[in-house]
Amino acid sequence: MTRTFRIARRNLGMVVSLSALAGCVQQSPAAVGRENFAASQQTAAQEDQILLGRALVLNHDCNGCHGGMSPDSPDWLAGMKTIDQQFLIGPCAVTPGAKPCYITRPRNLTPDNATGLGRFSERQIFNALRYGLRPEDTPDVDITSRTPGVGNFPKRPRYLAPPMPWPGWRYMSDRELYAIAAYLKRAVKPVVNKVAESDGPPDFWASTYTADLIGPYPPPAFPAANERRP
Amino acid sequence: MFSVARNALSVGIVHKFAMLTVMLSVLPRPATTVRYEDSRASSTPRKSMASFVSPPVLKNVSSLPKTVEVSIVAAPARLELLPGKLTDVYAYNGSIPGPTLEAREGDHVIIHFQNNLPEASTIHCHGIHLPADMDGSPFGLVPPGGHFDYEFTIKPGTAGTYWYHPHPDLRSEYQVAKGLFGALIVRAADDPIASIPEKLLILSDNRFLPDGSIDFPDSNSVQAEGDEENGREGNVLFVNGKIMPTLTIRSGEVQRWRIINASASRVYRLAIPGQTLLHVGSDGGLFEHPVEVKDILVASSERVEVLVRGTGPPGSAAQLETLPYDRYMPQTRSTDWNVAHPLLTLGYSNATPVTPVAIPTVLRVIPALDTTKATATHVIVMSQGLINGQTMDMQRVDVHATLGATEIWQLENVVGMDHPFHLHGFQFQVIDRNGVPEPFRSWKDVVNVPKHESVRFIVRYTDFPGKWMFHCHILAHEDHGMMAVLEVR
Repeated sequence: MTRTFRIARRNLGMVVSLSALAGCVQQSPAAVGRENFAASQQTAAQEDQILLGRALVLNHDCNGCHGGMSPDSPDWLAGMKTIDQQFLIGPCAVTPGAKPCYITRPRNLTPDNATGLGRFSERQIFNALRYGLRPEDTPDVDITSRTPGVGNFPKRPRYLAPPMPWPGWRYMSDRELYAIAAYLKRAVKPVVNKVAESDGPPDFWASTYTADLIGPYPPPAFPAANERRP
Repeated sequence: MFSVARNALSVGIVHKFAMLTVMLSVLPRPATTVRYEDSRASSTPRKSMASFVSPPVLKNVSSLPKTVEVSIVAAPARLELLPGKLTDVYAYNGSIPGPTLEAREGDHVIIHFQNNLPEASTIHCHGIHLPADMDGSPFGLVPPGGHFDYEFTIKPGTAGTYWYHPHPDLRSEYQVAKGLFGALIVRAADDPIASIPEKLLILSDNRFLPDGSIDFPDSNSVQAEGDEENGREGNVLFVNGKIMPTLTIRSGEVQRWRIINASASRVYRLAIPGQTLLHVGSDGGLFEHPVEVKDILVASSERVEVLVRGTGPPGSAAQLETLPYDRYMPQTRSTDWNVAHPLLTLGYSNATPVTPVAIPTVLRVIPALDTTKATATHVIVMSQGLINGQTMDMQRVDVHATLGATEIWQLENVVGMDHPFHLHGFQFQVIDRNGVPEPFRSWKDVVNVPKHESVRFIVRYTDFPGKWMFHCHILAHEDHGMMAVLEVR
């Protein structure tokens, strides 16, 4: 089994399913009363949000690590189930036995209460994607700064373990990140799958994910020093 | 092999991760565990020839019937905790552990508390059902130099092993680590095993610097981070303030041990290799029937009562140990978590064996709280340092309840570390763990909720309206805000 094959197959499937769904969301206002219309608008907006989240989950290959071939799969986003889904982090990824050797185990992203994201708010999931902050270690608040110890950004932030690519994905808009959170919390079926805690450094990667090492957020205004207007 | 390939692929996909792998190759092994070993190396060896001693008992100065009136002074002291070294501590009446408060069901208890510490403190009678303003919670701080009289009547059915300790917000771990803890034993008139000789074992741990002073690392150090994560664990283990004492037993003799985990965070998995233990009670007193076990998990602040049967021959020895138990996140787990630690030598006297006493099969009746009468279920989500996504706020009430109501609490631990949950003021009964019904009934005030597991318990607020704390009893977690408020009205 090669991963490249899996990705290609899934992307093809996505094009089909999205265009099919787009037709379902549109509703005729004439068919419903005024109140129903408002409610249906809200429902439609919610569904738009869910579908955006779904598309982002698919095209960012979340399931590539977190499990499931497609939303049809019983293990869709249910986290690591077999040992070949774990990541070795550090020199041992290249040289077996080399130290340090950490293990990242992809977590259960379904909304199961005990083993998944069920007890985390959409804001906590947003904070995980935007700032890399582990939802179980970070209060459910709007983060008010970008710097550890400033505002309510934790003084000792605990970050999601690599290779979770939040340093890149944090550049998605608020709307997009909240759409991912909404999809995971509301539109994925809960699966009970207890994944063991990842093994990482005791600072929970705080010394690895500094602004110097992962770049600024937000990015500099366009055009920045090494850009030009077309 | 596959893991490596998978990893390499991700490096290709995620540009920022490539750098990460390179960086890691030059990173030294994180320092927490190294420092831990350093402090171990500099500490006194655990083995000693200390004999087992029981803590002193508080003197009852009352001449009135059914009244226990005692004085407790918390003050700085200098004691010999490690052989040949003096340590600056906080102590109740000058001893560690503090003196034992002995009372009987129905007694009226008066504790004259004098706080001679340089900081605010309280006396929290852990597990006792008493008026909220007598609970010694963070709502009732006694300032430095201040005095407070705790006064309450011990309800029938309370008989059991309890303990008292300070409970100021933010400073509980420090004050307990400095030496403030003591036992509170409540006896019943109809105790079915009262004739069995009794021993009190208060388990504590601590960490010291080479000069004998207690090791409180700088708050910005790696060690402090580990302490914050795991709770502060010490590498020197004490039973009643002694390192590896020898408790004497006679062949054939049965002893009743009341064991209190007064450690700030260490979880003990107690066993005497080579023999089983008869588990007869927990936080709120005796079970209905004895339970035969190989080992017993005792989380921070939990208590157990066990019957130890002297099955060894005269002149032999056995050992009480704490077996490995993985309550930790791997990121901050100490290197020696998977090693058994000896706690106490069980030394058999040379006296001729005695015939073991008969142990009753029925200890008492514990009326079941009726789940069909429960009028509410409170979901309590415990994550790392947080309860329901929030840290402690004394101005906020997190759970509202009505006096006299019976309610269910559903505790959910959503992180990869155990959290021992404690509710003040009210004993409860565990209904199930992860949906599996509890095999037998007992009264509890602390229940350990393992990683990613859930526990449901039922409680009835029989008396005493007011504000009550509930929290993780890893004291570092409590201090950092993993605590919340129940208001009973």
